[in-house]
Amino acid sequence: MAEAFFNEVAAAIGAEWINRSEETLRRYGENTMPGGDRRPLGVIYPGSTAEVQAIVKAANRHGVALYPVSTGNNIGLGSRSAVHAGQVVLDLGRRMNRILEIDETLAFAVVEPGVSYQAMYDELVRRGDKFMVDVTSGPPQGGMLGNALDKGAGYGPYFDHFGFSCGMEIVLGNGEVLRTGDGALAGSELPNWHVSKYSFGPILDGLFAQSNFGIVTRMGIWLLPRPPAVRSFHFTYPDDDDLAEIVDICRALKLSNFVPTLLRVANDVYLCGSEHPSPEYRPGSRTSISDAGRRALREKDRLGAWTVSGAFYGPSMAAIEPQIERVRAAFGKSGKATYIPHEEALGFHALQVAINACSGVPGVGELGLLKWRPGGGNLWFLPGTPMVGSIANECQRISRRIYAEHGMDYMIMNVCSARFARGLHVITFDRENPDENARANACYEALARAYAERGIFVGRAPLDYHALHMGQAMPAFRDSCTAIKAALDPAGVIAPGRYGIA
Amino acid sequence: MQTDFTAEQLRDPAIREAADILGTCVHYGFCTNTCPTYVLSRDENESPRGRIDLIRAMLESGGPPKPQTVAHLDSCLSCLSCMTTCAAKVDYAHLIDRARIHVERHHRRPPAERALRALLAFVLPRPRLFQVALKLGRFGRPLQRLLPVRLRPLLAMIPERTHTEILAPQVFRAEGEKRARVALLAGCAQQALDGNINAATIRLLTRHGCEVVVAAGAGCCGSLTLHMGRENEAMAAAAANVRAWMRERRGEGLDAVIVNASGCGTTVKDYGHLLARMALAGEAQEIASIARDVTEFIAGIGLRPVAQERPRLRVTYHDACSMQHGQRVTRPPRDLLRAAGFEVVDVPEKHFCCGSAGTYNLLQPATAETLGQRKAGNIDSTAPDVVAAGNIGCLTQLRRYVGAPMAHTAELLDWATGGPLPPALAGVTLTSRPAPQREEAPAVAAAPAPNDDAGFW
Repeated sequence: MAEAFFNEVAAAIGAEWINRSEETLRRYGENTMPGGDRRPLGVIYPGSTAEVQAIVKAANRHGVALYPVSTGNNIGLGSRSAVHAGQVVLDLGRRMNRILEIDETLAFAVVEPGVSYQAMYDELVRRGDKFMVDVTSGPPQGGMLGNALDKGAGYGPYFDHFGFSCGMEIVLGNGEVLRTGDGALAGSELPNWHVSKYSFGPILDGLFAQSNFGIVTRMGIWLLPRPPAVRSFHFTYPDDDDLAEIVDICRALKLSNFVPTLLRVANDVYLCGSEHPSPEYRPGSRTSISDAGRRALREKDRLGAWTVSGAFYGPSMAAIEPQIERVRAAFGKSGKATYIPHEEALGFHALQVAINACSGVPGVGELGLLKWRPGGGNLWFLPGTPMVGSIANECQRISRRIYAEHGMDYMIMNVCSARFARGLHVITFDRENPDENARANACYEALARAYAERGIFVGRAPLDYHALHMGQAMPAFRDSCTAIKAALDPAGVIAPGRYGIA
Repeated sequence: MQTDFTAEQLRDPAIREAADILGTCVHYGFCTNTCPTYVLSRDENESPRGRIDLIRAMLESGGPPKPQTVAHLDSCLSCLSCMTTCAAKVDYAHLIDRARIHVERHHRRPPAERALRALLAFVLPRPRLFQVALKLGRFGRPLQRLLPVRLRPLLAMIPERTHTEILAPQVFRAEGEKRARVALLAGCAQQALDGNINAATIRLLTRHGCEVVVAAGAGCCGSLTLHMGRENEAMAAAAANVRAWMRERRGEGLDAVIVNASGCGTTVKDYGHLLARMALAGEAQEIASIARDVTEFIAGIGLRPVAQERPRLRVTYHDACSMQHGQRVTRPPRDLLRAAGFEVVDVPEKHFCCGSAGTYNLLQPATAETLGQRKAGNIDSTAPDVVAAGNIGCLTQLRRYVGAPMAHTAELLDWATGGPLPPALAGVTLTSRPAPQREEAPAVAAAPAPNDDAGFW
């Protein structure tokens, strides 16, 4: 069955684009999660939508499960590892990495799955730096299309990466090619495809975010004109419970969109962890970092129990200054916050990450937090809180308790918008230590249960826990997903199991 | 990564160090994204992560390495792009150096390859010999087809024009008030290929109040031989430099060692490690601590551009890997060029190596050519008037592929501060680019303190 599939694919796209070497299979199965690696059956590098279509049709004929990845930088959420061992990884990033179009009048780009934030940034700079792509603070080589489809986010006005995408081309599980939005019109000249999100009929785009109904091979992504000046502001707060005050101030700043960026509210371990490994962790440690240890880190790095970062855009630094003064007044009211101005923040490596992120500049600065503990284990737990200070503090208490019970270090950044803050919880652990690996897994599951009991769902999830989270959904949601899967991918060849959809 | 060295193996400090480095790799795989050979081949063994695994197996087994392992290690550019992107901060630079030393000691290469490597290791660090070799090479170019295949790329790499200027030990006096006394690493191959770079650097430094010493006894930094696995030769070269510069430091004083070839700069800044097990270790560390790229140093003391009629050119700045990944010096050259009145543009995919990589383009010409052409395409896409770089290797490699004139950053800065036009720009029609709009929007008075409304205005 598998051999016949690979033979058919080789005939369709060329045998040189199939890789089944021992080293490749081992590496593509690797991930950072507690559940272990998952060796794929092979890796295929398609070069076009037509080739993807041919592969999907072959998979239908031979009953082979495919697992598409764009650039495979989803560290902590699955990397390039498939849902199950024995699936065939479709690595779209190797050859389908073209920027198909940049429209400088209407400010949008059209990309294939392999286009990374760095590649887009480089291209925009090359064209005169007139436009800004909204970036994550994750790996610069991460894929824009994959991030948008996984509901990833950045920090600028266009932070909602799926929301600021427009018009897709998808190879469905049945092998048909679908265009969404205005692209659905029969024909080939489609001037509104990547500029109008809501066209005739149902909005199908959302079906392809966090699902397994098809393989997106092209997407329009909107760009922001680059402001002449970006001026950041930063405040540190001394106490854990100050989160409530911060969240309430951020809500007001964002509801009226006075601050154009999101506000990054990171705890001490998150920011200091980007700079150094844990000073207290020893192999086999079963305890969280102490409060005294956290205080020492804060003093060393001159950061707070919470540090708030955001930025203004404007025609010049001077023109932005009055807005900075307004924000200073808002955060300064209680007397707890310490202000760090933009110029000073440029000298703080940890704050430079925020400046880059708000400026649409990809960077590797935040990847350091993966080294907080050795051993390469990394999970992201991604629930959120309404922008109400008391609820944010309640969530903080839930998380702190569960991290401590499992001997993990509470590492979080709350990314605050107007009504909601995503809580980026990081769990770093020694994956090579079976006890710690098991505790990391138990910690994640306990967090997932506790938040679900509080009525809070996750926004994204590591591959190991897709089934768990789908099990937390109401039956009608599960049934709807299953029914759509049956309609669009009847043979179940696209990533069976991803996001808990068989 | 788990390792399995014996206690006896671990008694060797070099193996101990390698084992510690290997232990830090957790296979995140970020390195694969930016590794040129992996991106080109998608072969795991052509990635840093794959090579780390191969090095582990090779060092654990101890004896002669497998030929495939040697091939995968040889194809590594040592560009260190992987180190910039690695979240676990794996010290790949020292690991690949250790691996190359092991290969050199335990692997017998085919005779032609041995001869080629021996030739390069002997000739390149000796500028006068290299000068002769360049002349012979040019003369022999028509007979290229008669040479063994492995030697042909050497002739192809010889630039059409070179300007050899080999500096004798001497002191160049500071202009005006003396602000610092610095040693210049005059270098080896660079002196034979392009003596203008040192001349411009010296003019730039003396014009900024620096007394510049070309120290007796200093020569090749050891980088070329180190990256060929010839540790003893590299250490001997490094030790000679440390002794020469320490004589000056103890004598009339030395504030900095200036390096204008970033490949060399990376090595000099690492002398503390290279000579860690020698009696000279402390002095080596001291020299490493005062080593500066010329742009780092000038940025520190402040550039003094002179007002003169010069066209405002677009400079596309190429980051040498040794500069951006090895030394992490990225802002000073850009800041200085901007301060000097140039429009500075980045190269798309700037993290990617140009294929020069020391002797790489001589030993791995096919990959080097692919990378050189890829880099040139990216550079050309920026429509530069001139391309600047801070490393002779990159300049020599890219001049083969890039359409625009190329100059060392120091040559452009020298020109902007009163020096002569860089030779690369001689005879080129230079048209000024429009100056940027500098009109700043006025500040607006701050509004009253925020109220308690739901929003914030």
